[in-house]
Amino acid sequence: MSRLILLLSCTLAFSGVPSQSSKPAPEIIKSVGVFTAPITIEVFSDFQCPSCKLLYEQTLRPLTSDYVTKGKVYLVHRDFPLPQHAHAREAACYACAAGRIGKYEAACDVLFRRQDAWAADGKVGDAVCSVLSPSEARQVRALVKDPQIVASVDQDVQLGQAAGVRQTPTLVIAYKNQRYPISGAVSYDLLRRFLDQLLTK
Amino acid sequence: MNWRRWLVVFLRVVLGAVFTYAAWSKLRQPWLLFAMAIDAYGVLPEWAVMTLARALPWFELTLGLLLLTGFWLRQSAVAASAVLVVFFAVMLRSYIKGLQIDCACFGFGEAISLKTLLRDGLLVASSVALTVVEFRPASAAKQT
Repeated sequence: MSRLILLLSCTLAFSGVPSQSSKPAPEIIKSVGVFTAPITIEVFSDFQCPSCKLLYEQTLRPLTSDYVTKGKVYLVHRDFPLPQHAHAREAACYACAAGRIGKYEAACDVLFRRQDAWAADGKVGDAVCSVLSPSEARQVRALVKDPQIVASVDQDVQLGQAAGVRQTPTLVIAYKNQRYPISGAVSYDLLRRFLDQLLTK
Repeated sequence: MNWRRWLVVFLRVVLGAVFTYAAWSKLRQPWLLFAMAIDAYGVLPEWAVMTLARALPWFELTLGLLLLTGFWLRQSAVAASAVLVVFFAVMLRSYIKGLQIDCACFGFGEAISLKTLLRDGLLVASSVALTVVEFRPASAAKQT
C-alpha cells in the first residue's frame, strides 16, 4: 500500500497550471464591454454551425446582460468559419462589413436567427440586409468586397489556429494571465459558476 | 515468468499510466471546466454533471494507481473495462450525432474524431483482454 501512497503523492506534486498568455489586443468592431474588465472571453464561432447558434442564443445573451454590461467580462467575437460550411465565410464577411457601420450585433443576431434559411439557399446578404436600412444595406454590400474584411476573417482564423482551436464554438477565457479553453455549446449556468469562481479568487 | 504474466504486466502498466495521466490532466484544471466538457455531451442532468466532474478524476487516479501497482487487479481490470466501454459509447454517440465537442479525455482542446474513437477502442480492447486473462484459470491457458 505504501507504493500506492507514494505514486499518489508524486502525481499530485506534478500537477500543473493552465496555459498562460497575455490579454488580446482591444477590438473595436467585434467586441462588447470594457477592455479593462477582469475577465476576457474570446468566442471562436462559425455562423453556420448549429452549436454556435445555441451558444449565442442561450449563453452569450445572458452573459452579456449579467457580466459584460456590468464591466466584469470583455467579450470578443472571433470568426472561425469551418471549411465544411459552404456559406460560413461569406456570413463572417457580412457580419464584419456590418460591424464597420456599427451594426455587428444586429448582423450576428439575424445570421443566427435565420441560420437554417440562408444556410439552405445561400442568400447571406439578403439575411443581413433585412435588418438594415436601404442605405446601410448598400454600404454593407460594397464593404463585403473589401479585401480588409476578408483579411480580418483570415486573421481571426489564424488566431484560433494559434490558440489550438479545432472546433466551434470554442471559448477562450482569459483571467490573470491564464487561459482556459472550453468547446461546445456551454451551459450558461455552469459558465456563470465558473466566472463567479474566477472573480472571487 | 511466462508470456501470460508478461502480457498482464504490459497491459496493466499501459492502462494504469493512461488512467493516471487522464486524471492528472483533469485535476490540474478547475473542475468546472471539466463539468462544462461533460455537459457538452448532453447525456446527464446538471446535478449528475457536477458530481461526475468532481468524482471522476479521483476515480481515474485511484484506478490508474491500482493498475500500476497491481493491487486488486481483477477488480480494477473489471472497473477499467466498464468505465472505458461507457466512455467509448458516449463518444461514439456524439460522433454519430455530429456534435463538435471536446473529447475531454486528456485535458481540453481535443475534438471527438475517428482518431479519438480508435484510441478509446484500443483501450477498451486492452482492458477487456486484461480482464479475460486475469479471470481465466492458468490451467486453461496451458491447455490452449
